[in-house]
Amino acid sequence: MNSTLEMSAFRRAKHRVFNILEGDVADPASRFCEIFIAALVILNVLAIILESVPEIHEAAGAYFHVFDLFSVGIFSIEYLLRVWSYSEKYTGPGDSPWKGRKEYIFSFFGLVDFFSTVPFYLQLLMPGTDLRVLRMFRLLRIFKLSRYNSAMDDMFEAIKSEKDSFSSALFLLFISGLLFSSLIYIIEGHDQPEVFPSIPAAMHWFMLTIISGWGNVDPVTFPGVVLVIITQILAIALAAILTGVVSTAYTTQVARREALYEMEIREVLADGVVSEEEAIKLKNMQAKYGMSDEQVEAIAAQVRAEKDLPE
Amino acid sequence: MFEQQKTTLMEILEGSPSQPMSRYAEWLISTVVLVNCSAVILDSVPEIHAVHKDFFHELEFWSVMFFTAEYLMRVWSLGAKYAGDSWKGRREYMFSAFGLVDFFATMPYYLHVFFPMLDLRILRVLRLLRILKLSKYNSALQDLFSAVYSERRAFGSAAFLLTIATIVSASLMHFAEGHAQPEHFGTIPHSIYWAIVTITSGFGNVEPVTKGGEVIALLTGFLGVCMAAIMTGIVASAFANQMSRKKSAYQAQLRQVLADDVVTDAEKDALKRLQIQFRLSDKEVQTMMDQAKAGKKS
Repeated sequence: MNSTLEMSAFRRAKHRVFNILEGDVADPASRFCEIFIAALVILNVLAIILESVPEIHEAAGAYFHVFDLFSVGIFSIEYLLRVWSYSEKYTGPGDSPWKGRKEYIFSFFGLVDFFSTVPFYLQLLMPGTDLRVLRMFRLLRIFKLSRYNSAMDDMFEAIKSEKDSFSSALFLLFISGLLFSSLIYIIEGHDQPEVFPSIPAAMHWFMLTIISGWGNVDPVTFPGVVLVIITQILAIALAAILTGVVSTAYTTQVARREALYEMEIREVLADGVVSEEEAIKLKNMQAKYGMSDEQVEAIAAQVRAEKDLPE
Repeated sequence: MFEQQKTTLMEILEGSPSQPMSRYAEWLISTVVLVNCSAVILDSVPEIHAVHKDFFHELEFWSVMFFTAEYLMRVWSLGAKYAGDSWKGRREYMFSAFGLVDFFATMPYYLHVFFPMLDLRILRVLRLLRILKLSKYNSALQDLFSAVYSERRAFGSAAFLLTIATIVSASLMHFAEGHAQPEHFGTIPHSIYWAIVTITSGFGNVEPVTKGGEVIALLTGFLGVCMAAIMTGIVASAFANQMSRKKSAYQAQLRQVLADDVVTDAEKDALKRLQIQFRLSDKEVQTMMDQAKAGKKS
């Protein structure tokens, strides 16, 4: 009897930790935890940047070390708590506690949490490892921030929904890269063997031209000049295509979210009353979609106006 | 004669959905094309050429055999495209962009065999055309071209602007710097090259030495930023228009399907096909479906 009671208290504590760390439910503790970790991550990144300046490193190296120890301690506790509490994610009858844990450990954020912290311990075990590699891993900590910001998710989602257009732009780049660098090699290879000794070398020139508009080399033959000019115009076109694809992707995403939100508002306003629960639901939806108050107000006003018209 | 085989072969080569084999044919041809292009690139590195010369020759021979077989099979099987007149479909293929690419990417090899005196460089250029064979299998690329094509007037005016900007800044630069740097701005065609480099990259290959030249160079660089913005705007609006066209077409179909309240399997298939053809994501389709249903209810 006693043990089951204790167990349930234990479970409750675990559930509470899960909610705080996951931050799905609005809760001052989870808010505090979020801000604390985000601030620590920002301080960490600042420390890594400052530490790379030789004068600062010499003057304050000891402080940096203490700070790193402190951060690693906090991040390790965070990681362990997360692994421990994520068993609460799936509480169905047949689910083992390791289902949620495994999902977390192998998720993007789980891997970031792991690889930004654990290399520190490796250094303790094997003092001979290259410090530069360690610093690189430490920089991974900045990705912990993206957990609290949906901008990156939004971007990936938008790119995913337009992945065909992206791949066709890349394909265009690929084909034109092959053709143009081979052509410049064939046309100018004899006249400038030091810059275009082979097609792979010409590809380097092509990429420079596409990215910056000028590939550091002036052509010497007339066909070469024409080819370089075409490549430069292609550079503008490719940049325009990529920008166009991205902007279309974002516009479609925003339009889709507005449509979803509008449907929700319509449903809420259908019975003429907005209950507390419905208001919270709308608020959550707005936060999830990252919509501004003005946008939401405009949609709501439109729906209300439509409702009033026929009456 | 062989009508059945001819039709089957056409469906395989043309990527008909009823032939699972067409998937493999596509992969096989794409792989051979990619291997070929890699070979052309590697062959151009003198050190690799010295060691593996014979291998590349052998590879080229077998690729040409492969592409020749492909070309002949296409020509033969496309006779089945239009019943009655077998040369109509064949002519259509042979003079289409892909037909010409297939022809000119393969045939020069034979020319070389018969006329060994031919310039090897032209042959190599034509060999590279093989990469264009890949674009047949990329429907997104064709989408991109159609989006650009529908905005061709806007592109035309942008190109016109670019031409004017190039000529004006090149001429001005010629007058401002022609005497100071005759090797770069001595003639207007020479300055045109500088103007295009400056417009596309914002920083020219030659730095102006006079005050007037500096001002013109800055203005030209700024023009480049404007050109990029105009082009980007046109392409973005072309894509957005294409997207909304596709969506309204899909929505119209959806409304038609939902009109009688029953969604049959055939209708579901048609919607699915349309979604794939328009390359709409599942989420977008779901949103449109919810909207259409909500619209019906009210």
